[in-house]
Amino acid sequence: MVPATTRAVNRGLIIGGCVVYFLAVGMFERFTARPVITDLLTLGWTVLAGLWAVAGVWAARTVLPPASSAPDGDEAGGRTARAVTHAALAGLLAGAVPALFLLLADAINLRPMLINAGATMVNALAVDDSAVAGALRLVLAALVIATVAGIVASAPAQVRRVAGWALGMVVLLALVEPLLRVIIASLGLRTSWLYQRGGLGVSGAVIALVLGVAVGVLRRRDTPTTARDDGDDGPRARLARGGRIAGLVAGAVLLLVLPRLVGPFLSEVVGTIGLFAIMGIGLNIVVGSAGLLHLGYVAFFAIGAYVTALLTSPAAALGTELSFWAALPIVVLVTAIAGLFVGAPVLRLRGDYLAIVTLAFGEIARILALSDWLRPALGGAQGILAVPAPTIGAMRFRDPQMLYYVIIVACAITAFIAWRLEDSRVGRAWTAMREDEQVAQIMGISISRYKLLAFALGAGIASVSGALFAVKIGSVFPHSFDILVSITALSVVILGGIGSLRGVFLGALVLVGLPDLLREFGEYRMLLYGGLLVAIMILRPQGLLPNVRRMAELGEEERLQDQWLKRAGDAGDPEPAIATTKTDGAS
Amino acid sequence: MATSSATTESAEPPASPPPGDAGGPQLGLADRIPLRRIIRWGLAVALVLGIASGAYQTLAAGVFSPAQWRDLVVFGIAQGSIYALIALGYTLVYGILFMINFAHGEVFMAGGFTAFFAARAMDQAGFLNQQPVLAVLILLAIAMAVSTTVAVTLERVAYRPLRNAPRLIPLITAIGASLFLQYSFRGLYGEDIHSYPRIDALTGTWTIAGIPILRTQAIVIVAALALMVGLYFFISRTTMGRSMRAVAEDREIASLMGIDVNRVIVTTFAIGGMLAGAAGILYALVFRQVHFLMGFLPGIKAFTAAVIGGIGSIIGAAVGGLLLGLLEAVAPFLLLSGAGIPAPNQLKDVIAFSILVIVLIMRPGGLFGSREPEKL
Repeated sequence: MVPATTRAVNRGLIIGGCVVYFLAVGMFERFTARPVITDLLTLGWTVLAGLWAVAGVWAARTVLPPASSAPDGDEAGGRTARAVTHAALAGLLAGAVPALFLLLADAINLRPMLINAGATMVNALAVDDSAVAGALRLVLAALVIATVAGIVASAPAQVRRVAGWALGMVVLLALVEPLLRVIIASLGLRTSWLYQRGGLGVSGAVIALVLGVAVGVLRRRDTPTTARDDGDDGPRARLARGGRIAGLVAGAVLLLVLPRLVGPFLSEVVGTIGLFAIMGIGLNIVVGSAGLLHLGYVAFFAIGAYVTALLTSPAAALGTELSFWAALPIVVLVTAIAGLFVGAPVLRLRGDYLAIVTLAFGEIARILALSDWLRPALGGAQGILAVPAPTIGAMRFRDPQMLYYVIIVACAITAFIAWRLEDSRVGRAWTAMREDEQVAQIMGISISRYKLLAFALGAGIASVSGALFAVKIGSVFPHSFDILVSITALSVVILGGIGSLRGVFLGALVLVGLPDLLREFGEYRMLLYGGLLVAIMILRPQGLLPNVRRMAELGEEERLQDQWLKRAGDAGDPEPAIATTKTDGAS
Repeated sequence: MATSSATTESAEPPASPPPGDAGGPQLGLADRIPLRRIIRWGLAVALVLGIASGAYQTLAAGVFSPAQWRDLVVFGIAQGSIYALIALGYTLVYGILFMINFAHGEVFMAGGFTAFFAARAMDQAGFLNQQPVLAVLILLAIAMAVSTTVAVTLERVAYRPLRNAPRLIPLITAIGASLFLQYSFRGLYGEDIHSYPRIDALTGTWTIAGIPILRTQAIVIVAALALMVGLYFFISRTTMGRSMRAVAEDREIASLMGIDVNRVIVTTFAIGGMLAGAAGILYALVFRQVHFLMGFLPGIKAFTAAVIGGIGSIIGAAVGGLLLGLLEAVAPFLLLSGAGIPAPNQLKDVIAFSILVIVLIMRPGGLFGSREPEKL
């Protein structure tokens, strides 16, 4: 067992490394352009402060008891003192490492190699002061923040929760500023009490803090979010059901008026969220239900878009010029058949092979669409233009505020199909297959058939998303269909929770919606996705809104793993714990 | 339509998936061996016929001269030896952890990309052309060091916590890590494509056995072979190599025998990283440009190479790499140009990926692996 102090030092250095990474990769500079509290705090500094706070908490945990086993009297006092010392030590190091980096970047021009470590970064970090002063300030700030974090970490759970919620609420409200401001404005209210020039105003910050404290105080610790409805028929359950119905109705009404509420730009964002939600639903069937990791999912999305364009566009070589609604069933059918063709050869392959083969299929589709060989049919790099909008009577669903309704309906239908499938014979067969293929086969489940079914169904759903994408953009280009679409869809499924239908919507909202709200993130979107995939798999493999049955499976694995770890002795940290999604910066 | 057949729950099996389904509810025909074998053979015959006719057409049309073919073959071998070096990293890790280190292509990129800055500095100082041998060795050392660091860090941060997790989980982690590394390096070094400085001593050709070979290609082939032979001896002769084989055989028993499993795994990643770093420099010598996405395609191709050779097998990875490089260089021209397909070189990646699919259908164990398909 490594001594606690050494571990605290290590953790401080690790966070220091993360801070340097955050600086060198250019995120700090970009994020300082965005205010959290106008004129007081930018996003860049918020993340730095967050990292230092993590250093403090993480270092304090080297001595704090793991769970909330109530410590008693003197021992607890001594422990708190040690925890705070460790936090301060880690904070010192977590500040000293970037401070050294700052001095280095000031002394030597690192820019020929690290393009972001130039004078602008030095200035932003030193707040237009001399580098030495800036470096000292960094160390001091880190020390203070980490110490405070250490004190909070050793406080009772109630205090920790309130502090977490309060600070989290400030950041959250600041981040959703573009959305919330538009909504408040469209309701005819003034926004200056909350937001000023892109960030929270001082009054807004206070409101956010109070709100956060309120949420933190009101949230009872003993109500885990997943196990709320436990089928007892008391009045409480009835009340809960009534509340849920009211919530559903309110949600439906909100969905209906949303495009009017948020305006054309945000409607477009919501539309994109919807498209990825549909893809997520489809991919969830393939990955979540059937357990087949599919990395070429973009191919089906692309086939859907291309077939739609071919069938409906007057500019297409096919020249059928069908209406969107007439084309849609053909699109789904064609793509489902394509799904079978991709699925058939890879039926016998194990998970990791399957992933790479489907990845290869996705690339093949893109390269073929780009090639000169198929140019007469698919238009090469120019793609197919002039995909007409769907119409019903006199209604044209072209502009984002109208197309939104088509997308929402498509979301609803696909979600309904997926929901009904979950516990059906087919869904149960998939579950059995995912858990143990050989046992499932022995129980009489035709593995080939159900795998192919999952592929075909997943492909069909993705094609709906592709078709809507084609009419949304109005044209189809091969460059819209690279591997990153597959990865985004996969991230959506995984963030929400593999196999969880609700999770897909949350995932799409967070992963597709947030980056569009945070233009500063644009460049780092893929980086954050990647980091998020790793962080979720390590910290919370069941996702944010887990599928209950799937969680049981994962839990079982974890128990086995714990046993194994115990047997194998100390293999690193069994509980990396608090690192939030922002802190996955260890390069 | 698939959707409707899926929602109807009846005693009858849902109509659809080919190939055919006339059997009882217990075992569809698709699950029986003969049909699969027939399809496999049919596919094989169709493939052979297609390849033969494409090749015949091309050769009969006489579009390319023998010298051109020879150049393609040499280029293919050079490229293949780079694939082989990367493929060794996949195979080593797979052999021990049974996971595909998806981010290995990025390990390769990290080395080649980072060494670029050293190369540029040395070029500006004039050192690169004064002492080309020493300079290339320094570059190799830098690239290998960086790639090794990345590979080992990756193992420690991303893979070690998941060592006993269900298989899907480390795989997704690896995909995430790959993405994370790509875009981290984009953030660190920028998104421009950088051109490696030219080394005068390495331009032009050497005539070896009467065949003129580009010097860079000759160096790449020799260096890759040397590294692979070195690896072979390391694995087969040293204590560490023996420990690695033991851990690959059975991790738990190996640990009972007093082998430090963690150390073996770290060493494996380190060796894979070193080879990938070397491959990064060799790649830079041949193609002379680097950027943050350069690891993606070579990574998948190297994986393909590892699969062709039989993943887990070291000799397999080497042979698979060479074979894939060769096929990729020659096949587009040989098979497609005769069939009148324009710009066949655009489709070389399609050919590489098709090879992957075909190998996995025909012989999932690869050339040097077992014939049996992998346990599901």
